[in-house]
Amino acid sequence: MRVTLSQIHKSFGAVQVVKGLDLTIQDGEFLVLLGPSGCGKTTALRMVAGLESVTSGRILIGERDVTNVLPKYRDVAMVFQSYALYPHMTVAENIAYPLKLRKVPPAERDAAVRGAAAKVHLEEFLDRYPRQLSGGQRQRVALARAMVRRPSVFLMDEPLSNLDAKLRGHMRSELKRLQAELGVTTIYVTHDQVEAMTLAHRVAIMNKGVVQQIATPREIYEDPANLFVAGFIGSPPMNFLQGSLSGGTFAFGEGRFAVGVEGDRRNVTAGIRPEDCTVTSPSNGRISARVYSIELMGDHTLVTCQIGQEYLTVKADKLAQYAMDEPIGITFKDAAVFLFDSESGERIRSRARVDAMA
Amino acid sequence: MMRRLFEPATVEEQAPAGKVVTYALLALWSLVVLVPLYWVLITSFKGPGEVDNGPFYIPFVDFTPSLEAWDFMLLQNYTLGPYLNSVVVALASTLLAVLIGSLAAYALVRIRFQAKLAGVAVFLILLVAVIIAVATFGVQWEVAVAVAGALFLISLLTFVGRTRLALGNSDVEFWIISNRIMPPIVAVLPIYVMFQQLRLLDTQVALIATYTAVNLPIVVWLTRDFFAGIPLDLEESAEIDGASKFRVFFTIALPLVRSGLVATFLLVLILAWNEYLLALFLSNAKAQTMPVLVSAQNTTRGPQWWNMSVLIVVMIAPVVVIASVLQKHIARGLLVGAVKG
Ligand SMILES: Nc1ncnc2c1ncn2[C@@H]1O[C@H](COP(=O)(O)OP(=O)(O)OP(=O)(O)O)[C@@H](O)[C@H]1O
Ligand SMILES: [Mg+2]
Repeated sequence: MRVTLSQIHKSFGAVQVVKGLDLTIQDGEFLVLLGPSGCGKTTALRMVAGLESVTSGRILIGERDVTNVLPKYRDVAMVFQSYALYPHMTVAENIAYPLKLRKVPPAERDAAVRGAAAKVHLEEFLDRYPRQLSGGQRQRVALARAMVRRPSVFLMDEPLSNLDAKLRGHMRSELKRLQAELGVTTIYVTHDQVEAMTLAHRVAIMNKGVVQQIATPREIYEDPANLFVAGFIGSPPMNFLQGSLSGGTFAFGEGRFAVGVEGDRRNVTAGIRPEDCTVTSPSNGRISARVYSIELMGDHTLVTCQIGQEYLTVKADKLAQYAMDEPIGITFKDAAVFLFDSESGERIRSRARVDAMA
Repeated sequence: MMRRLFEPATVEEQAPAGKVVTYALLALWSLVVLVPLYWVLITSFKGPGEVDNGPFYIPFVDFTPSLEAWDFMLLQNYTLGPYLNSVVVALASTLLAVLIGSLAAYALVRIRFQAKLAGVAVFLILLVAVIIAVATFGVQWEVAVAVAGALFLISLLTFVGRTRLALGNSDVEFWIISNRIMPPIVAVLPIYVMFQQLRLLDTQVALIATYTAVNLPIVVWLTRDFFAGIPLDLEESAEIDGASKFRVFFTIALPLVRSGLVATFLLVLILAWNEYLLALFLSNAKAQTMPVLVSAQNTTRGPQWWNMSVLIVVMIAPVVVIASVLQKHIARGLLVGAVKG
């Protein structure tokens, strides 16, 4: 079912935590709310669940206004970061609890519990208590409990954050598959960009209670709306250079290079992703630099280059070999350079590009 | 060598010297606890002669045990009545106190109360006014209550809402515990008069109501920490799953604090079972409880130790049984597995 948040504000006392959240999640969509710790993601999710009242604004599930509706009448299911399994109930009882509250007849209930348990591969564990399960199994119980009753909306608050890296990767693909199979609208909160990029149909990036950009993972990565999004997405993070723009050239402390954007302005930040840069000979580079350090990451090498006071990371081939302080050149395509207003953080786009997109 | 005495061999163990001290203290304390019990037990098998000529401690050697006192108290005297009274009053009042008290404690932990101070003041003033009007001016109580209720409502709707000062949860909690600060003897007379007016003196109902009220603060204060220890996530999850607040309380919160609740139940049960002062005032024949009966054995002919001992033995027995049965339920670690990996 479609979920609509319009102009949601939330304050705790004098502290504004969510500021004017506008979001529409389409029926069956997997939307990920991504942002740094403390930006208000959990608060936003809890308002959709009804665990937190809104200070102002409206929440619609489908066509129904649920702004002032108790959680139990909202028909949403939530997976908590802590899983929140009922420790005094077996796995089967945990999964059956929402059905029991809805007075589903026992036979039907058992069938539904078995079905949900099978979906998350928990059949052998139905008689165990949560304390007898591993973290990954507990997480799957929480998932099974959420999906057993086919809610209108799934809400998930960092459900994978307590798992180790390998299990997290595995559960990520399971989760994606389950959501696609069930086709239930899902809002998923995380601060892990990999989770966001891999799971989401669309990602909403939040910072300090404000949504910065809502777009598909590809768009977020290739066309960040502002400095925050550009810096938040990508690992290793985008390189930023402070400088000014004049006559189609970006000038910074120790260098300059042509960019495809006209105009004259000061306080401009240029951003280039490490993977869009290549190291060449000093004479062939658009910027000349020195090697500051190199780190072998396995399948690639990160070369940190020093340009005067600034540093720039280049993602190079795993076989790359450079000496410390070796003079090198760095090259990149015009299209790989993003320009931002340093003060507002807004993207400075080239006329041509804007026209092309329109 | 000396070090060896004062340092444990492994981290889980005590040092040898510590062990000796611990067990010596435990043995001493066991003696302090057990000797009176032993004394009561053997005294119940003595007669006036053995008690007065004593002290005798070893049955069959020092004295010949007899069942005379047992026969007298249990068969010739009507002990069963007070015994049943004690059972009914203690069980009923404990169940009520634990039920109401845990509900109150849960509410105090999970719901934020903000009673306006002005509203409380108006209520108290009106209450006093009603009492004076009814008691000294002979106003019909229905009329007085109706008028006061109307005035209270009007004050709520008009100025009380605009005042700032309010009582919070901690004030309510303090008020509850303050009920126990005053020694019960102070409250005994008003309580007596109240039940006299209600014609409930010497009934089980009066004792149950009084014990419930007296033990409520203890239950609230013991259980509020148990409830506060439940991760909020669990209850919120249950609410999203479709449970009402009462459902959450009975299906999630209560089972999770079971062990604490059992301990509380046991403590309150023992308090009610042994209560003497209030029972002395509020009952005389029909509703008499065991502690009163025990002290009644202190007759004009002097204390009848043997009879008293019989009563004490039959009084202790069920508590020992209940305590050992319930002990199994006072298990720890019930919350393990609720949260996190
Ligand atoms: N009940 C509350 N009372 C006061 N402040 C709160 C409350 N709940 C959250 N906050 C504040 O609101 C802000 C946002 O909190 P929230 O839990 O939504 O962050 P988050 O984005 O989920 O962070 P994380 O990724 O660390 O979970 C934080 O600064 C937090 O201190
Ligand atoms: Mg959070």
